[in-house]
Amino acid sequence: MLSRLRYIFRETFDSFRRNATLTMAAIITAAISLLGVGLTLLSQQGFDNLLSKWEGGVEMIIFVNAGATADQLGVIDTALGNAGTFVQDFTYCDAPCSLGEAQIVLAGEPGTLALLGLNNIPTQYKVVPTEGTDVELLRQLEGAFAELPNVFNVQFAEDQISLIGQLQDFFGFRLLLLTIFLLLAAILLIWNTVRTAIFARRREIEVMKLVGATDWFIRVPFMLEGLLHGIIGGVLASGGLWAWNSQWTSGVGEFPEGSGFAALVVTDGYDKQVMLIMLIIGAAAGAIGSGIAASRFLDV
Amino acid sequence: MIRLENVTKSYSADVVAVRDAGFDIAKGEFVFLVGPSGSGKSTLLRMLNRQDRPERGAVWVAGRNIVDMPPGRVPHLRRNIGNIFQDYKLLLEKTVFENVAFAQEVIGHPKHVIKQQVPAVLELVGLAGKEDRLPHQLSGGEQQRVSVARAFVNRPLILLADEPTGNLDPATGEGIMRLLDRINKTGTTVVMATHDQRIVNTMRKRVIQLDRGVIVRDQARGVYE
Repeated sequence: MLSRLRYIFRETFDSFRRNATLTMAAIITAAISLLGVGLTLLSQQGFDNLLSKWEGGVEMIIFVNAGATADQLGVIDTALGNAGTFVQDFTYCDAPCSLGEAQIVLAGEPGTLALLGLNNIPTQYKVVPTEGTDVELLRQLEGAFAELPNVFNVQFAEDQISLIGQLQDFFGFRLLLLTIFLLLAAILLIWNTVRTAIFARRREIEVMKLVGATDWFIRVPFMLEGLLHGIIGGVLASGGLWAWNSQWTSGVGEFPEGSGFAALVVTDGYDKQVMLIMLIIGAAAGAIGSGIAASRFLDV
Repeated sequence: MIRLENVTKSYSADVVAVRDAGFDIAKGEFVFLVGPSGSGKSTLLRMLNRQDRPERGAVWVAGRNIVDMPPGRVPHLRRNIGNIFQDYKLLLEKTVFENVAFAQEVIGHPKHVIKQQVPAVLELVGLAGKEDRLPHQLSGGEQQRVSVARAFVNRPLILLADEPTGNLDPATGEGIMRLLDRINKTGTTVVMATHDQRIVNTMRKRVIQLDRGVIVRDQARGVYE
């Protein structure tokens, strides 16, 4: 068993050495395409952060000044309750809830975030309209809600979501398409590299077959080679993603406050998850490319 | 050890390589397959180690009909068959030792067994002391000896040799034949395809002659005609 393992690893690394140029090309292509996957996932997460406060069908948010009394909040509750024809549901996001949300949306603006605390952050009423209620209808109520005591302002999802949503769809779809093409290119390049490696070693393979080596024994070093192409590509892409995300996070800090880009900063270790996903996709792409090549071109 | 029953193999409708061939080869026999180029000698050898399959007939090797043998069993069949080629088929970037060891390594022999058996077989073929040389540092005869060592190191039941002296001068060819004869005397069945009239006539072993895919002569202690 040990001698077989030794043989497999030796042959794999020999093949790397002999096929250095093609191997590098396959790894770089895999790394670039996986970086594309990573950036797509990170940007989507950034957009999701930006839209997080509108989750659950919320179409209108009434921001209430910090320090509003229970009576004042009661007045807003009653007003929303009375608008039952238009309002299906509403929830009150108190100071801790609003602060938690701010930590996501303002992740890229640590200065602003530092100024916010439980005692000064505006709280929110998140309003879900009844089905069929037009946003324009809600807008007609805006004035009535804005005049309620201690209401800071009223915002509508449509104003923010439409632009962000369009951006998310635009970038998401095109990046995904580009990524799929790049991944396909990486798989084909790995396939071609392994095919070339098999061709370069056709004499050895012929001898191996004639002395009774099993097909799997012959295949495994080639499959391992492709797998390593994908994994190394994934590692490089992870490094690239880490560098990109670090640059982006520090860069966003220098943007004007309130520019909206702060929410596009990805926090909470999501970037690590993306790196893991990239490694898994890289390994899968390598295994697919080399698996097909090793199965198809073994009859040399 | 080997039995062919009504074996026919064609590569296209017009090219019939072997037609209705049949013979028995006993364990420990030494058999020459002779005939002009294209007479089907190499095709017969290729069918004996399942590199080719006949359209019709049965090929029995070591008690098993290998025509319908599942592909997964073929490697195990081949571990009992050594192969020697006219062009040696050595791995040029591996040393003499590594070339021979390769045949053991790929079927999973442990390192200590390889270290013990490879020098012994290199001694047998007269290459002791040349373990670290690369094939291009050897003469043609020495390269063929490496090929014989690689074919024999796993102690196969059968040795198939396809024109093993074809690229060698007569004296070197005789050396290889003496080596094959020694291996045959250990009980290994040897089937050798050759054009070499002198060798066949000197050895006086069984001769199976083919002509356009048909066996036209099967003679014990025969000569080249």
